[in-house]
Amino acid sequence: MRRHGALSTVGWQVLICAIVLSVWQWGYDLRTRLPWLVPDLLDPYFISKPSMIFDNFLIQSCLTSKLGAFNGWFNGDFGKCLARNENNLWAATAITLKNTFFGFVTGVVSGFVAGLILGRSDRLSAIFQPFITAVNSIPRIALAPIIVLAFGIGDMSKIVTSWIVVVFLVFFNTFEGARSIDEGFTNAARLLGASEWQITRTVVIPSTMAWVFASLTPAISFALIGVIVGEFIGAERGIGRLIIESEARGEASGMMVAVVVLMLVGVVLSAIIWRLQAYLLRWQRQRGAE
Amino acid sequence: MSALETSATVSPRASADRRVEVKGLSKSFQLARTTIEAVRDVSFDVRRGEFVALLGPSGSGKSTVLNMIASLIRPTGGEILIDGKRVVAGKATADVGYVFQRDTLFPWRTVGDNIGYGLELSGVPAHERKERIAECVAQAGLRGFENAYPSALSGGMRQRAALMRTLIVEPQILLMDEPFGALDTHTKIDMHEVLLRIWEREQQTVLFVTHDLGEALTLADRIILFSARPGRIKDMFEVDFVRPRDAVKVRETEHYAELFQHIWHSLGEEFVRGRIT
Repeated sequence: MRRHGALSTVGWQVLICAIVLSVWQWGYDLRTRLPWLVPDLLDPYFISKPSMIFDNFLIQSCLTSKLGAFNGWFNGDFGKCLARNENNLWAATAITLKNTFFGFVTGVVSGFVAGLILGRSDRLSAIFQPFITAVNSIPRIALAPIIVLAFGIGDMSKIVTSWIVVVFLVFFNTFEGARSIDEGFTNAARLLGASEWQITRTVVIPSTMAWVFASLTPAISFALIGVIVGEFIGAERGIGRLIIESEARGEASGMMVAVVVLMLVGVVLSAIIWRLQAYLLRWQRQRGAE
Repeated sequence: MSALETSATVSPRASADRRVEVKGLSKSFQLARTTIEAVRDVSFDVRRGEFVALLGPSGSGKSTVLNMIASLIRPTGGEILIDGKRVVAGKATADVGYVFQRDTLFPWRTVGDNIGYGLELSGVPAHERKERIAECVAQAGLRGFENAYPSALSGGMRQRAALMRTLIVEPQILLMDEPFGALDTHTKIDMHEVLLRIWEREQQTVLFVTHDLGEALTLADRIILFSARPGRIKDMFEVDFVRPRDAVKVRETEHYAELFQHIWHSLGEEFVRGRIT
């Protein structure tokens, strides 16, 4: 029964994909016959269409220089194409990923440490509370132009933008987690002779982990958003830059290629976090056994 | 049932062997502008190796007394000496183990790692730790569950693991706050057997908080009866059943029935008083 249910779930998913892609690909062709049914938005000028996006992907990724003919891997055409275009799809993805990674890691580490310290100290949290509330009320993305102005159009401005959107998210979750630790656990540890540092390491951090992980999936998306916005505002390379260039040329398929790549990147990064969480929080999975 | 009666069964060094001295202990809590007096002027001594039950209705302050001895709560008045040294709130006393009413096993650690936690804190090397964990696991009848997480265990198994986590560091004084209160009758009696066998072997000094008279009679050498709030010592009873005791058979004796009746009368008054106030 269960197995049958799972299969039909996948079946439905494939069907939905097929319908969406078909409408996208051929929907606008119906306009001549059924103009009342097809909205303007389906115009490939705005949203391109799957076949054009695929062709554009082949070109931007240097897999082909001319439609219908693939670049040879060994005759050097692929390498020459990459060298000709500094912001080819591969290089752009790599640079965006790199900056996302650094923004994410610095944001998570600093947010976690700050959340832990303030969460465990009533005095510090009382002192900093109004500042944190104030800064948190700023839509962080609004700071992106200032950051690009301050840090230039290189990688640093992207990392900082990404950091600033991630750090608060992780900070608040860690803070809440550190506040809501079961006193029974800390008492038990203390009575078994744990020092304050041992309590932090063996009780506070593990029991805060579930809260931290709850923030990591949105944090990785935020990190990516931060980098892309930074690249929109000023960059020489990166996927955000690709989108801006395609937009300037009025080339919807070029933008769509970038969007699809971002989607794939987002899916892969979330999957990595999910696996990491399943491993580190494996003790939670047995809860159902009770 | 005076204290004199038992002094014969204790070694002559008894007076020098006071491990825990509680002197004029009191505690008040501030709760929304009203002051609640939880404990009033409680004094008693516990001898080395003695098993003492603190018995009373809920709200009689017996747990509060235990938590003050454990340094978890700061007393409003009076003092506590353990081996002649004054207990300071917030500072755990070496050699004192505590078993909570609700097992506080760390859910993120396996059963084995929970039991070995105290050894880990004091830096016992991994191979030695492993051996001692294995011993404790066997003693608690938890073989095969070392690598399970606590959430996979039943209530009784969890409480046995929690007991072992406390015992592995070999505390000389054991404080227990209704440790078996959440268990069903059968599991509870199993736990009494486990605890009696361990105590007979290790001869720790035990302070055991309970509201269950049967449990107190099964386990203790002496019962300190607390009155309903504010908690004071109402009476003390020596429990002179032979050791080693069998947790099931001891309840079948005539003497048990006599003592039960005798104390029940006094305890019953406090139940009633606690209900009215």
